[in-house]
Amino acid sequence: MNSSDGDNLLEVRDLSLTLGGNKILDKVNLDVKHGQIHALIGPNGAGKTTLIRSIMGGMPHKGTIRFLFGDNGRIGYVPQLLEFDHSVPITVFDFLFLMLRKSPLFLSRRRPMRARILEILAATECEHLIDRAVGYLSGGEFRRVLLAQALVPKPELLLLDEPASSVDEVGARHFEQMLIQLKQEHGHSILMVSHDMRTILRIADRVTAINRTVTYDGSTDNLNLSDLLVYVRPEMV
Amino acid sequence: MDIIYDIISGWANAGYLPSIFEHTFMIRGLLAAIIIGPLLGAMGTVVVTKKLSFFTQTIGNAAMSGVAIGLLFGEPIEGTYAGLYGFCLIVALLMTFVKNRSRLSNDTIIGVVLAQVLGIGIIMMIVVTSQFNIHQVEGILFGSLITLNDMDLITLAIASLVVGILFAYNFNRVMLGGFNPILAKARGLSPVLLEYVFVTLMTVVVVASLKLIGALLVLVLVVVPAAGAQNIVSNLRQFVWVSMIFSTISTTFGLLLSGLLPIPSGAVIVLVSSILFYGSLLLKPILSRGGISQGEV
Repeated sequence: MNSSDGDNLLEVRDLSLTLGGNKILDKVNLDVKHGQIHALIGPNGAGKTTLIRSIMGGMPHKGTIRFLFGDNGRIGYVPQLLEFDHSVPITVFDFLFLMLRKSPLFLSRRRPMRARILEILAATECEHLIDRAVGYLSGGEFRRVLLAQALVPKPELLLLDEPASSVDEVGARHFEQMLIQLKQEHGHSILMVSHDMRTILRIADRVTAINRTVTYDGSTDNLNLSDLLVYVRPEMV
Repeated sequence: MDIIYDIISGWANAGYLPSIFEHTFMIRGLLAAIIIGPLLGAMGTVVVTKKLSFFTQTIGNAAMSGVAIGLLFGEPIEGTYAGLYGFCLIVALLMTFVKNRSRLSNDTIIGVVLAQVLGIGIIMMIVVTSQFNIHQVEGILFGSLITLNDMDLITLAIASLVVGILFAYNFNRVMLGGFNPILAKARGLSPVLLEYVFVTLMTVVVVASLKLIGALLVLVLVVVPAAGAQNIVSNLRQFVWVSMIFSTISTTFGLLLSGLLPIPSGAVIVLVSSILFYGSLLLKPILSRGGISQGEV
């Protein structure tokens, strides 16, 4: 995968974070560039999700996080695991309506919004799920719905926390194709946490490895699988 | 208010309503039931989604102390509003604060506070009952139509109107925050602030409905209609409307039965609500066969 130069979209400088007396992140630096897929890797407990949540603005930290897309830009987010009560009767339509509209769902007419939500779901090829209960979707189906919601309104930066976890091989390859399409056809910039090194080598332009602090940062051009595994499973080296 | 009472008792005299509605206290009860039923039903859907059922019971338990505090500070027995609303709001907001600032689970915090307000309530009631009629306090615990006065009804109507508007305005945000706080945060919302808003609204409605339903039974009317609705609906819009219908049927029919039988209104409301819940449970397999679209896991 060729990396292309571009301006920085996100700059993280000397980010440190301590939780319950444990240092989770220590002086992490990270640059994410426009129009690139940037992978974030590291062993379990390395602080990847904490870094993503810090970028989202949900964690108290030291250091600076700078977005270079102005005040009107937004971040689209697909979380790692979405814990919710599966018995709550929320359909995919309801789920997107709650996120996109302010008028109370139970007092609003469904029909005018239906076409808009079908259009949103079409971006990740999951229009057929519109009337399905969210609690009854498979892992892959729900991931596609989550990605669809993250794309509206159009984000400057997409943050994906293990987007292909709990998805089978076919689903994961389909997801990869969607990410490439989002980058190439729509110009989306993506920062994604992933444990799947083959996926990273196939689609990412750049990779940053962390284990509390940055252990590697560079292009994926000349990397192979064993190079990456060093940063994910350091105990095996 | 007298004009409204005259009109409704006129309908009862003409045979359009059961004869028990010739009594003013039954008309007040009917109006209270019609006002509070839909609101409790709608808010119950968020309570069930956010798993705040026992939080509601804690507010009910705190009402015992609230009444006693109101009486001790010289409020009239017919309306201990400052004591009730003041103490219940403090308890509700304190619980939310502790939940968001400690690592304790919601369940543990509710267990701790539920026991505390119950203990304080019993001590306070012993102090109060040496000076006042215990039957008045019983009215708060189990609901008593006789003690529901015009002021209660007006308070209930105003509180319900304000809470209803604020609840509808915040519904999407509160529901999203309840469904998943992380996604709500990603959308620029503050799930913690939304929780404070909802808890405040819930406390106001619960306290306003105490004389009709009773402190010990209010939990049922918040949770059971929503749980019953959950058995038979397939989307969020239906969830809210069916819960509102179940709740309104429970309050109005429960009130009607309490006028015919020598049983407190709260207890009969619980009975009707429970019949609807088990009825919906029986309907569930039939409706599922009818194609409620939940797809395959």
